[in-house]
Amino acid sequence: MGEEYKLIGGYPKSMRESIKKVEATRSKRLKTSVPAMSLAARDDVLNLCHPDYHKEGKRALKIGVNKGDLAPSEVADLIEAHPLIDTRSVDLKKIDIDTDILIIGGGLAGTSAALLANDNGIPVERILLVNKLRHGDSNSIMAQGGTQVADSKEDSPPIHFIDALGGGHFTNKPDVLKALVSEAPVALQWMTGLGVLFDRMEDGDFVRLPGGGTSRKRMHACKDYTGMEELRVLRDEFRNRKIPCLEFNPVVELLTDPGTGKVTGAVLWEMETGEYKIVRSRITILATGGFGRLHIRGFPTTNHYGATNDGVVLAYRTGAKLRDTDTVQYHPTGAAYPQQIVGLLLTEKLRSMGGQPVNVNGDAFVYPLEPRDVEASAFIKECYVNGLGVDTPTGMKGVWLDTPLIDLIKGKGAIENSFPGMVRMFKRFGIDMIKDPVLVFPTLHYQNGGVETDPEGRTNIEGLLVAGEVSGGVHGKNRLMGNSTLDCIVFGRISGATAAEYIKKHKENGDLSFKHLERYGKELKEAGIKTERRAPILLPEYRGKAVLQRILDIF
Amino acid sequence: MKKIGYYPGCTLKTKAKIFEKTALYTAEKLGYEFIELPNWNCCGAVFSLSSDDLIHHLAPIRNLVRVQDMKEGAFLSEETLVTLCSMCFNTLKRANIRYKNSAEDRSKIKNIMDTESAYQGNVSVLHFLELFKSIEPGSVKLKRKLKGLKVFVYYGCTLLRPKEASLDDAEAPVILERYVETFGAEALSTPFSRLCCGSYQTVNAREKVVELAYKILTSAIESGADAVITACPLCFFNLKDIQNEICAAYPDFKGIPVAYFTELSAYALGMDPGEWDEEPGFIKTALAQTGEKKIKR
Amino acid sequence: MSKKDIMGEIAKANSSVIKGVDKSEIKHWANIYIMGQRYEVPADLTIMQAMEYAGFRFIHSCGCRAGFCGACSTIYRLKGDYRLKTAMACQTRVEEGMFLVQLPFSPAVKPRWNIEKTGYEDGAFLAYFPEIARCVSCNTCTKACPQDLQVMDYIQAALRGDFKKVSELSFDCIQCGMCAVRCPAEIVHYHVAQFGREMYGRYGYPRNAVLDKRVSDIKKGVYDKEFKDLVKKNKDELVKIYKDQLANKDKFIKGG
Repeated sequence: MGEEYKLIGGYPKSMRESIKKVEATRSKRLKTSVPAMSLAARDDVLNLCHPDYHKEGKRALKIGVNKGDLAPSEVADLIEAHPLIDTRSVDLKKIDIDTDILIIGGGLAGTSAALLANDNGIPVERILLVNKLRHGDSNSIMAQGGTQVADSKEDSPPIHFIDALGGGHFTNKPDVLKALVSEAPVALQWMTGLGVLFDRMEDGDFVRLPGGGTSRKRMHACKDYTGMEELRVLRDEFRNRKIPCLEFNPVVELLTDPGTGKVTGAVLWEMETGEYKIVRSRITILATGGFGRLHIRGFPTTNHYGATNDGVVLAYRTGAKLRDTDTVQYHPTGAAYPQQIVGLLLTEKLRSMGGQPVNVNGDAFVYPLEPRDVEASAFIKECYVNGLGVDTPTGMKGVWLDTPLIDLIKGKGAIENSFPGMVRMFKRFGIDMIKDPVLVFPTLHYQNGGVETDPEGRTNIEGLLVAGEVSGGVHGKNRLMGNSTLDCIVFGRISGATAAEYIKKHKENGDLSFKHLERYGKELKEAGIKTERRAPILLPEYRGKAVLQRILDIF
Repeated sequence: MKKIGYYPGCTLKTKAKIFEKTALYTAEKLGYEFIELPNWNCCGAVFSLSSDDLIHHLAPIRNLVRVQDMKEGAFLSEETLVTLCSMCFNTLKRANIRYKNSAEDRSKIKNIMDTESAYQGNVSVLHFLELFKSIEPGSVKLKRKLKGLKVFVYYGCTLLRPKEASLDDAEAPVILERYVETFGAEALSTPFSRLCCGSYQTVNAREKVVELAYKILTSAIESGADAVITACPLCFFNLKDIQNEICAAYPDFKGIPVAYFTELSAYALGMDPGEWDEEPGFIKTALAQTGEKKIKR
Repeated sequence: MSKKDIMGEIAKANSSVIKGVDKSEIKHWANIYIMGQRYEVPADLTIMQAMEYAGFRFIHSCGCRAGFCGACSTIYRLKGDYRLKTAMACQTRVEEGMFLVQLPFSPAVKPRWNIEKTGYEDGAFLAYFPEIARCVSCNTCTKACPQDLQVMDYIQAALRGDFKKVSELSFDCIQCGMCAVRCPAEIVHYHVAQFGREMYGRYGYPRNAVLDKRVSDIKKGVYDKEFKDLVKKNKDELVKIYKDQLANKDKFIKGG
């Protein structure tokens, strides 16, 4: 095996030459920075270069509550598809698991929901958390930068509210957003009480950093492992309480009461054995996360292996209303080199702490902390309009994120102490991000919209709550950094409490049926959609083309 | 100030905090900055899994490698490691001697440690007492006078045995006596100063330890001592903490205060007893027994 | 470049990463042995990507694909080297002659604790994990850690009740279980670390008075009126507030 290019410190010669230019301008850039854009300038660059503003990647939904709404074609494909299972071969009469609260998804939202349902009086044996992969395999665990909480003296929940509203282009649902920012300090207090180790200063006070689009220092981080630290503590508390949990058991269909249409349970499918299980629940919390693995518009993604939009597909069939399906968040700084890690997240905190985006000539071209959509568009513009991107050996383009600046600004050791995960990842591929910049390009990061929620986590369907990335409304059409882990924890907690209240008031179980699918099938037919597509897809397909062409499905 | 690598041992961080606090204070007053190894493991004394002999030596040798690394990084003035607990001293020193003397063991240990850095064999392991053995009585400026306080010095075994690991003449040591005298008290010793206290037998043969401790402490009382000092947390436990059991077994036993040798020096150098022990039994009782008027501030 | 071309160009540039490369485009190959069976795979891929190229579809042994979740623990040897190596399959490039197997799960029993009721004291580790006293400092755990953590050092710190040191040394643990699988004393290191971090997070710092005050203010309804007013405002008014807030941000986030 040989190397196509001789690599110097992990980079080929062509990229090294550009790095020299970056080094040459570094001391000058230390003192000056590109000013932030006006709102008008933001609109211009979004219109020109943001994938969401390029309409040909989307189409109007032909069926369902949101008929006529735009969604990425990849999402529309899943919505306009047949159920994954043949309902005739599923026996709904035998109930395998009878529970009060079914929680689908074990990231921060689902785990928080389980804990709060228990705190609010539901005994652990009446709760069930199901996961497609392992408990904790989620986008939550990959969150790096931090969690926004307006807890400092110069900050307040209303200031947080306005930042998030502006970042979301004033399309957020105000009552839901108000709940998010108001419950944030409560959530932080709760997490520290359970032992989450947020970054602290010598005197014990929290370290707070600014994030893209925030007007105060509000980001609470756990080095660059924020989501992992939060999740492993909450999951451990969940395990200490012995809350029932099933892994490798995705939900392949929700069940509804044929009379009222409310959600009354779900069909699980054990991935290893293929066996199905019928769960009857009095209330169901959908916390299935996002859709990065659909690779919208051909972008690589920061998301985990199971981020395939299952929750939206399942809920939509029961009649749940969606919103903001037309927007997708591209994180400005995905890794663009080396090939092995393309698309993986390089936290926004790198820019919060002084890292600057610069072009092939070593020139800064954008304010480092614009809201994510603006920042991402500016990178695309620099590469594909201005032609000042850096080419990689595989033909990708990217811009430099000048990480060595961080140590110059914050002092030697700052990168290593604050970003151990990033340093480690690049080191594995021979790159030292303390000495050299890293190459970045926007990557598919977050599902802004989803199943519409109210401030209590309720949807328009009785018996169905939502929390976390699968929900829509709180972030409007664009989410700010640090509001996603917050969303998961706050609305996980809220939905858990809402579910507990519901259980106390509603003692009766509904009947189990696939009636909603009959209606859905009819709509597909009436809309003239002829397709072989089945959904949810559960996992993406990455097997080699050569192998796939020669597979015999005989065993 | 001279920077010296310092190996505290596990017990000093938990059950014997008194020992460490007073020792660090003493060392600082006497011109040493003790640099605790940033990462250190058990000295190797208590490894329950070790049935083969070599794994027993990995831990002590790794600690010595870390001294070597710190010297290379210029964090230390010399390749010296000082320790307080006599059990740690014994284990580290014996492993060091064996490593230096046996080419076969050296190569085996290197093989097991594999990718870790190899020990060059140049570290000296010292006991705290050895640092100050050449200090002349009278040369140290004392804040408090201990004149008239009679102290029975208790060596136990691990400071002196085996012979090649001894910190002094194994048969006729004087290092503890000199230390006591340096800080102004009177040192007393008898052959029982070197009798084993029963060590770990305290876990499964307590009656044997009670018997040994009774003999040692009675010898101290009969020699006219006001207090007993020791250099080992385990001896400390066996001689001090089970005195009520000795009383129960031997009704004639009167009891006597027991302390770490560093409590004596810290007190003489001016440390307030309340700073190291909430109830500084040693000083209080010692003062009462010698008559408070004899001790002048 | 027109608007449409930009997105087309980007999709084209990314396609090899998302859809995989054509066999004809691959210049460098490596032979790897998955559970003993030889496969020829592109040499530029990670172990995970290479296994997928070879036709494996993951259910187990694959989670975040970015080095955070610890699902893709892999052990391997290279030809001619006696050392048993460990890696995260998503973060490690294949090497010629790699013999590998994945460990999707490490059997481990976790003691249960109640963070409210557990005393923050030296002996707490030994009370929940008496087996840590079996550590012989062999350092195999440290050598097995794909995150390069000083695992043995934090177990030693746990033995002496040093919560801070355990937290610092174990913070980047992804709980992949390689340490626990390799330990001759059968310690489950990552549970010990989890316990230590939670205790330190809960008891190692003084309570934050500013946060407590903010929470109590929110519960008292201190911000209710401000929110009520905000929600009534029309978009133009909100845009103005937002602009003002952004314009003034420098005095709050300087030195960020």
